Amino acid sequence: MAARQLVNDPDDFVREALEGLQRAHPDLVRYHEDPAYVVRARQADKVALVSGGGSGHEPLHTGFVGSGMLDAAVPGAVFASPTAFQIRAAIAAADRGRGVLLIVKNYTGDVLNFRIAAELAADDGIETRTVLVDDDLATDGQEDGAPGRRGTAAVVAVEKICGAAAENGASLDELAALGERIVSSARTLALALEACTQPGQDRPSFDLPDGEIEFGVGIHGEHGVGRRPYAPVRELVGDLTKPLVAALGLDRGDEVIAIVNGLGATHGLELSVVHRELGEFLDGLGVRIGRALVGSYVTALDMRGCSITLLRADDELLALWDAPVRTPALTW
Amino acid sequence: MDTRAWIERFAAVIDDRGAELTELDRRAGDGDYGTNLRSALAKVRANLAADDPRTAGEVFTAVSNAFLHTGGTSGPLFGMWFREFAKGLGDEVSAGSLARAAGEAEATVRRLGGAEVGHKTMVDAMVPAAEALAAAAERGADVETALKEAAAAADAGARSTEALLAKRGRASYVGEHARGVTDPGALTVAWFFEAATK
Repeated sequence: MAARQLVNDPDDFVREALEGLQRAHPDLVRYHEDPAYVVRARQADKVALVSGGGSGHEPLHTGFVGSGMLDAAVPGAVFASPTAFQIRAAIAAADRGRGVLLIVKNYTGDVLNFRIAAELAADDGIETRTVLVDDDLATDGQEDGAPGRRGTAAVVAVEKICGAAAENGASLDELAALGERIVSSARTLALALEACTQPGQDRPSFDLPDGEIEFGVGIHGEHGVGRRPYAPVRELVGDLTKPLVAALGLDRGDEVIAIVNGLGATHGLELSVVHRELGEFLDGLGVRIGRALVGSYVTALDMRGCSITLLRADDELLALWDAPVRTPALTW
Repeated sequence: MDTRAWIERFAAVIDDRGAELTELDRRAGDGDYGTNLRSALAKVRANLAADDPRTAGEVFTAVSNAFLHTGGTSGPLFGMWFREFAKGLGDEVSAGSLARAAGEAEATVRRLGGAEVGHKTMVDAMVPAAEALAAAAERGADVETALKEAAAAADAGARSTEALLAKRGRASYVGEHARGVTDPGALTVAWFFEAATK
């Protein structure tokens, strides 16, 4: 076994990690082993929020189960969608009779299995609505019938803001509309300095020559949309941010929520530099960062790199962003 | 109509000919289809042994659950297809109940997967089979006749995929490479109905 990760047996990796999560936060989360899902230790009488997807993106989604955010999260194997049965069980465990909002990142397997789980839940008498998160600008502009933009770090904003609205008593329909509004107001771009390595493997998912970076990567170790020479952070951040500003039509006087996200193996010190450069760039355009989240929240195992998400903000979204949250990975 | 024997014959066909499906998927997809299907049918056999179903509904529930526990894209879609047979068939299987179940089943797969006839997927066999069952039920044919006609229609539907360019599913990523290759999902549907008629 390659000595680059703390792994017992790769087959037990996800289960053991989830047992660790429960041991660390017994007051917040409960891990159900078969089928696998994580649910709040103490449930609230409100519309429930359920998300999920492949593992390897931690703390997403299991780290965001708790008050003010998710009611349950469904982890698949590393980079593989959970099954519809897993999702159905999590929906049933989270539902308090007021319906369940499903927050789904746009990947074929996730979309299909959540859609099937919603049908199974309907047969169980549980009403669901789905918010499809598709914020990755690198995968924009595909032809009709293609899978469309991938879902990446904007999912944190959807979970946080819809989570706060749910605690305030919002209805299922209101939450679905709010989620769609957040998704349509948010875009993300990412770059990688080094690919990720699957648990138990000793080679990264792709090779990057020295001095080059991969632009427009997703969160599954896949290639990006372009390769370019390494440059100072100031320049790289400008290249990431310019298309986001254009896509959202941001202008002087606008306000955003910014998420500067590490992809798994990037130090907080580097992310703070990225955030500094983002601030300087937006200052130059007269766009204000109303709130910021800087850290590793939506990761691709141990990928070295970062993503920048901008969400066009207004008073309602800012107030919901500021509302209290208490989860293993996000608390204020 | 002994549905349990039907499913056991279907599983035996996949045992014998699963490698052909993998070969088709290797040419037009990623080459794991037959392996996934065999793994689903191993779960089907285990469920049948454990649950010992008595009615057609119970038999198809065991089949559906096995496919829904199988990964990939075709696993859950077949799971939901079989689930409509489980819901629609009670103790007695008639041409009418089969036609209604097959109609609900193909509609569910189209809704969930977003594929239509002509996209080179399992739907290309599911829809003509359902139409043949409906036509047979309409003129009062018995179950055996209806299933024979469904098998012929599904087979023709599966063969029609050979000339198509894929619009959905894994084969849609390989473009012209998939032309000339029969869709393995559609062929599986054809073999399923064929297994009913033996």
